[in-house]
Amino acid sequence: MSEIIRIVGSFADEEQCAASIEKLRHLNIGKVTAFVPFPSERISEAMQLKRSPVRAWVLCGGISGVLTGFALTVGTSFTYPHHVGGMPLASITPYVVIMFELLILFGALCGVTGFLVNARFPRFEPVSGYSPKFASDRFGVVVTCEAAEAERVEAILREAGAEEVTSESVQG
Amino acid sequence: MARTPEAAYPVAGREQLPVEVTYAEVDQEALRLLQPPGRIYWYGVAFLAALVVAGAAAWIRQIYTGLGVTGLQMPEMWATYITNFVFWVGIAHCGTLISAILYLFRSRWRTAVYRAAEAMTVFGVFTAGLFPVIHLGRPWFFYWLAPYPNERWLQPNFRSPLVWDFFAVSTYLTVSILFLLMGMVPDAAVAREASTGWRRKFYAIFSLGWQGTEEQWRHFSMVYLLLAGLATPLVLSVHSVVSWDFAMSQLPGWHSTIFPPYFVAGAIFSGLAMVITLLIPMRRWLKLERVLTLWHFDNLAKVVLLTSIIVTYAYIVEAFMAWYSGDPFEKTTFYMRAFGPYGHLFWLMVLCNCIIPLFLFSPRIRTNLPLLFIISICVNIGMWLERFVIIAVSLSTNFMPSQWQLYRPSLTEITITVGSFGWFLMWFTLFSRHLPVISMTEVKEGVVWLKKAIRQEQAKAA
Repeated sequence: MSEIIRIVGSFADEEQCAASIEKLRHLNIGKVTAFVPFPSERISEAMQLKRSPVRAWVLCGGISGVLTGFALTVGTSFTYPHHVGGMPLASITPYVVIMFELLILFGALCGVTGFLVNARFPRFEPVSGYSPKFASDRFGVVVTCEAAEAERVEAILREAGAEEVTSESVQG
Repeated sequence: MARTPEAAYPVAGREQLPVEVTYAEVDQEALRLLQPPGRIYWYGVAFLAALVVAGAAAWIRQIYTGLGVTGLQMPEMWATYITNFVFWVGIAHCGTLISAILYLFRSRWRTAVYRAAEAMTVFGVFTAGLFPVIHLGRPWFFYWLAPYPNERWLQPNFRSPLVWDFFAVSTYLTVSILFLLMGMVPDAAVAREASTGWRRKFYAIFSLGWQGTEEQWRHFSMVYLLLAGLATPLVLSVHSVVSWDFAMSQLPGWHSTIFPPYFVAGAIFSGLAMVITLLIPMRRWLKLERVLTLWHFDNLAKVVLLTSIIVTYAYIVEAFMAWYSGDPFEKTTFYMRAFGPYGHLFWLMVLCNCIIPLFLFSPRIRTNLPLLFIISICVNIGMWLERFVIIAVSLSTNFMPSQWQLYRPSLTEITITVGSFGWFLMWFTLFSRHLPVISMTEVKEGVVWLKKAIRQEQAKAA
């Protein structure tokens, strides 16, 4: 089995970082991970990320909230009948308020749960290649590739304007 | 000569914009606040805690003695406590406006102020939630509002606005906490990397192990956007529901269809004024001039002015509707509001909410922080009075003149009210020095956006 190398490039500029990712992806070299200190549309474009599935979680949460609100209010009205002046037992119009509030509540709770599940949080071990400076003011590109491609990757990162490029063997 | 921040960002022009700040400086500014605070800070917290203890003691006395220690008597069974409830729910609204609605509209100036406003939302709801319970004769039965089946058939009446309120306020509290905690995740990671010892562990919990990979940002951005999308109708619904506590009744002065938009505008107005009241001293004491610039205050003041005009319009329409209805009870209530025994409070409210904010038409006043601070305090006073005028003054003149009664708050109610301000400010003060009160990631994003916008403008001009 050939040696696997992890190469970490650190950039001060968002645009240079995005350019290096685009080139690496274009040449289809190794597995690329990017670290960014704030959400960057430019880097998302370069990584060609799909939309997060969290939105499906929110949709399901919202629908289940409405159904729960409906079941709670209408179910309660019939389980504990309270006859007032010949009015119908269940009054949908005021119950819409409860359904709406539960739509929001369940949607938010499911959205946060979806985020934790999809992004795999809480995380106790750092993602390989992580450096504290990537949380602050530097953009990082981590490429995991075969040893034969390491030199080429390093050259691409330096050409794009990386301030610092380091490499280490992760598997022999 | 050393350039002061005000000299660096003069009253008008692009120089106000925080474009000179680097990413590392943004972190330094925000992380500086997380250093162990000094003795004066803790004296301040102790003073606020003493106010809370005084309020708690008054409440314990009220529970022990009964509601007779308050000034409540027929027909004024809702007065200071419910005024405080509506006031604090209103204060809580601004955070969601700044963090959710302005986020959806991509208003970049919100970035430096939204975390403080969000924290204010959470602590505002914490405070508001106490008052319906304080107002109960037997507060240990507050859980009867929750929908649970029991053999006594004490099921809540889902047609009642008070039950809607329970759902609305508890949903608002939950969503506001989630929104605050979610937004703080990347900033807590920055704080984690910059700290040691127990503080590092503390921030590690809030950061959930965040490392800022594009994969994490992908899910984060989506959930944050959707939470903003959910919080926007929620914020409008919560104060509408609070307004229905009044509008669904038949009482003159309360039974009005304009209450929901009128209350929502008032809530945003009072909340923004409270943000300004808190941020101006915070900016000075914590030396945040480079991050909280006059540009931010100018924008906040503009929204205060807009909401003040909406609130003024609502006052005029409300009075017009009372006159146009031809209903003698409605007309009497409005006449008594302005010219009855509480008339001075009404006119003070008009002065604070409708007249004084008009000074904000002047850009010089919008960026003169001492004056802006004074105006924001006036608005806070005016909005508390507005709720008092709606609640207590309307109740004092009901359908039966034989029941008319003047309400005066007792010492117990005043102490609990002062205690609630201590409670709110204590949580906010603790928050401001222990968790990132400035969103580092969003300020950096805002700086990038500003630089790009300026570059594009210059290219166009060239």
